[in-house]
Amino acid sequence: MQKSRKRRYITVFILLGIGTLLFFILNICIGSVSIALPDAVKVFAGQGSSETITRILWDIRLPRAVSVLILGGALSLAGYLLQTFFNNPIAGPFVLGISSGAKMAVALVMVFFMGKSIKVTSAAMIFAAFIGAMLSMGFVLLMSHKVDNMSMLVVSGVMIGYICSAITELVVTFAEDADIVNLHNWSRGSFSGMTWENVKVMAVIVSITFIAVFFMSKPLGAYQLGDVYAQNAGVNIRRLRVCLVIFSSILSACIVAFAGPISFVGIAAPHLVKKFIHTTEPIWMIPACFLGGSVFCLLCDLLAKTLLAPTELSISTVTAILGAPVVLWIIKKRKGTGK
Amino acid sequence: MKNFYFSTKKLCVGYDNKPLIKDVEIALLKGEILSLIGPNGAGKSTVLKSIAGQLQLLGGVVYLGKHSISEMKANELAKKMSVVFTEKVKVELKTCRDIVATGRYPYTGRFGILSKEDERIVDEVIELTQITDICGKDFDKISDGQKQRVMLARAVCQEPEIVILDEPTSYLDIKYKLDFLSLLEEMREKKGLTVIMSLHELELAKIVSDKILCLKGEYAARYGTPKEVFESDFIERLFEIDRDSFLENKKLLTYVTQIGKWES
Repeated sequence: MQKSRKRRYITVFILLGIGTLLFFILNICIGSVSIALPDAVKVFAGQGSSETITRILWDIRLPRAVSVLILGGALSLAGYLLQTFFNNPIAGPFVLGISSGAKMAVALVMVFFMGKSIKVTSAAMIFAAFIGAMLSMGFVLLMSHKVDNMSMLVVSGVMIGYICSAITELVVTFAEDADIVNLHNWSRGSFSGMTWENVKVMAVIVSITFIAVFFMSKPLGAYQLGDVYAQNAGVNIRRLRVCLVIFSSILSACIVAFAGPISFVGIAAPHLVKKFIHTTEPIWMIPACFLGGSVFCLLCDLLAKTLLAPTELSISTVTAILGAPVVLWIIKKRKGTGK
Repeated sequence: MKNFYFSTKKLCVGYDNKPLIKDVEIALLKGEILSLIGPNGAGKSTVLKSIAGQLQLLGGVVYLGKHSISEMKANELAKKMSVVFTEKVKVELKTCRDIVATGRYPYTGRFGILSKEDERIVDEVIELTQITDICGKDFDKISDGQKQRVMLARAVCQEPEIVILDEPTSYLDIKYKLDFLSLLEEMREKKGLTVIMSLHELELAKIVSDKILCLKGEYAARYGTPKEVFESDFIERLFEIDRDSFLENKKLLTYVTQIGKWES
């Protein structure tokens, strides 16, 4: 039995790997200008013929695809951590209002600095997003002490999200600036306009967090049995909880700072991955969730770029269409089993 | 002074800084079985949670040997003490064997991967606790009684020196109740396992316990051997059984009298 399990895990990882690679390549080749794969390979090998195509690949498509890969994985992982933390399958950074909190903080900071004509650095944006994410998280945690019902918790999160979004809208409306168009696009969620500078920062933050989370897989596994048995196994629950809150907030903050709030990936991707891999063991789920999120977002970004080309859809439009049904599916399935 | 394996001094337990029971003094030798009895809501679970280190003590000390458990490292304590409480365990996609194997947690390395030795112990415990037939099933698809047996197996798998059990037999049918109690006795003979548990079945508590702690009200109502507890009308007073109300019903009256007596 153990053997067949391991075979299943490995198969899923191979499939996820293939999926990532496939969609990554498609994302690079397909766009307003289609580029055949051999041509793209030539460009990356340094024998590019046309300057335009080289620029498109190096400066636009590649950094964008890499950031979708990183942020998609981060989003899915953030969702998985929150689901484990609240023991709630429909928890995620978006539904709990954490993304919206981060968005509000970033919008406030951006508008404030733009007003003084100071350029906002990535670090400052991430920091602001982190503070905003922690604020929302704090509210959700306060609510979670009052309600022990999973749907009420999500409702509280959605309300917090609405409040934060309203404040963001308000700020955006009153800030009159040429850059406001940018702000507006970003606040709806988009992977466009990623630079290599952005990619470097997010790669560092996400990979450090990923490693830290991976090292938590043993206590996380024990935590799935509930407080009583985790504590009996020798897990320091308080420390584990603090780590979970901080890491999920860092991941959510990083996504929002670069790509804006993206809906439903945090719930849909971990759930689909769990269905395929058929385990909840964190040591397998953590990397699988990350890859699953990457594949999901690469697909969504591809659709966002191509469905109504040349108009680009906001990424949340696509993730919502693909992700929300998964959430409904989870809820429907849960109905029979009570909570 | 004797060499007690488990003892409490001036233990005060409760929630949110409100003391529920004060001055609980327990002293057990290695291999002794202590049962907690008392009416519903008397605080049996609160005492058990407190001595397992899961609830903040409001006063006093719990000793394991000479060490206060609040000063022991979490992992050291986990190798010595395992628990089965009444909290429902909600997991997904985990087999019963997976659950039993979580008992090995304190012994595994950084990533919690089971060694060959760990796997062997898991298999051994599964056989010992007679859950071979369900060990491959999904934990969330079995009955409450089966879950209880799996959780008991998990506690055994932790290779503890002392187990804390909150109503471990509540969902078990009579066969598994007996099997479980005989397993406890066997483990205390062979390995010197010390047991602290709450029991609703007085007749079982009477037979298996070395010591009984009776809880009711602010202080421990009585602490002693079964012989000291099951005497005259103490049990009836503990549970506030009004003998007069059964005078009409001979069968129940006999039952009440039987339960409260030491030699039955």
